[in-house]
Amino acid sequence: MKNFMQTIALLEMALTCGTLLVWLLQRNFEAQIPVAARIILALLLANLFYWPLGMFMELPLAAYIRGVTGDLSMVSLLLLWSSVLLDRIDPRNTEAHFVPMGFKVAIVIIAFSFYPFALGLGMLDPYGWGYASVGFLIAVSIFAAILAIGNWSKGTFIIALAILAWSIHWHESANLWDYLLDPFLMLWALLACISSVRRKRRERLQSGFLFRAG
Amino acid sequence: MINSAVFNPHTNAWGEPTLVIDRITVEKSLSRYIAKLGNPVPARAADGRLQLFFVTVSIGGWAGSSISTMSSSDEGLTWSKPQRLITSPFTNLSTLVKTPAIPFADSRLGLPAYHEWIGKFGELLRIDGDQVIDKRRMSSGRSAIQPLVLVDAPEKAQAYFRQTRGSSKPHQIPVSETQNAGQSWQAQADLPIANPNAAITGVLLSNGLRILVANDLESGRSRLVMLAKDNLDTQWQTIDVLEDDEALAPEQRREFSYPYMIADGTQVDLVYTWDRKKIRHIRFDSNWIKQAYSNAQAKTVSSEEGKQ
Repeated sequence: MKNFMQTIALLEMALTCGTLLVWLLQRNFEAQIPVAARIILALLLANLFYWPLGMFMELPLAAYIRGVTGDLSMVSLLLLWSSVLLDRIDPRNTEAHFVPMGFKVAIVIIAFSFYPFALGLGMLDPYGWGYASVGFLIAVSIFAAILAIGNWSKGTFIIALAILAWSIHWHESANLWDYLLDPFLMLWALLACISSVRRKRRERLQSGFLFRAG
Repeated sequence: MINSAVFNPHTNAWGEPTLVIDRITVEKSLSRYIAKLGNPVPARAADGRLQLFFVTVSIGGWAGSSISTMSSSDEGLTWSKPQRLITSPFTNLSTLVKTPAIPFADSRLGLPAYHEWIGKFGELLRIDGDQVIDKRRMSSGRSAIQPLVLVDAPEKAQAYFRQTRGSSKPHQIPVSETQNAGQSWQAQADLPIANPNAAITGVLLSNGLRILVANDLESGRSRLVMLAKDNLDTQWQTIDVLEDDEALAPEQRREFSYPYMIADGTQVDLVYTWDRKKIRHIRFDSNWIKQAYSNAQAKTVSSEEGKQ
């Protein structure tokens, strides 16, 4: 596994970049591309990032991006790939949700509780739990079970795959947190929550059931 | 790039530096862009292999570093491909090494590391081969980096840090202590030795004597001294002034910095950066150090008696 680890990580980053370009294409051209076409397009675009382009660059584009972002968590990767490439929701419909709001709120709460301590606030380091804490593994499994109870089995499946990836040391990290959470996932969840609050406020304004301020 | 040189104790001379690894090789091995390499820390693994830890920076300054490691089974002639250690949840940003690793009884290595981005604090990484299997915080906040760990007993160790405090706070060496082999650390009173936000180094000799090499100044790095203390003494004694430009005008003072020291049997080897131009190496005999410490102690006692 170790011999292929860097290749796998580079492939993942290339596919992620390809997927993001497909998402941008759909959003900008307001076109709903069929699933098969999206997958093929993402794979073709991934080649652009995976192979060295030469010129002044020593490495493939994905390697430069990876140098800045590091490896994304499995949850981020699987959510992005499945939402952009496999979901059949019209991307022009901004009110449609690929992911339940409850999950996004949970990610924001967990991230805002986790990062300050993991980055040096006080002597408690929750990041250390990710190495071999049975208690933490049980907590993550309970969270996955709650997603299933909440009728979002895709979320349970994604977390199960993340735990499986951690158990076989799929990425460089031996820490379960790195398979579950990353700053980009937090940022996406935060922006989605803010956007949802704004949309709801706009809807209430449009409904006319708000008192004028002052 | 990272170079190595071999010291011949018979001729008392260093060989020509040879390349260990360069930036391009590291970025190809790790499949990611690397802007610079630094802070090499060699360690001896329990199976006899030489293991090298170093930091890589992809973007920004040294605060954005991550640690990588590689090993050699032929005393540094050839090296394995570097592997990246993942030590931080925020895109693995800002973990650095500077001070020597310590061995655990189960053959694993304890690698003192530190963060210097949002927080400036020390951590002890537990390393199995080329991966981190545990880490414990040694300090918190924004005041202590580059932990130097001296092991007193199977479960007891002290860590001394380079202080990074604001100007209104004491510029002395911060200390943490563990009583459970590094599982938890408690902050202790500072060592009463001035520290100008500069690296320190030290060893614990087999006779129980603690040796530190540090810039014992509130600011600047123009003086470098060797200090010692045994378990019975409460006071650190300056046993040797290695460099001292304090008498010169500020613009003429040179910088003596980044000391690194190891002890092997009766020999203690110290290297440090000499005026940012050269690396200076000094070899000490532990008997000489012991004698110098006794002399410094006697001098302190006689000067205290003189005062009375």
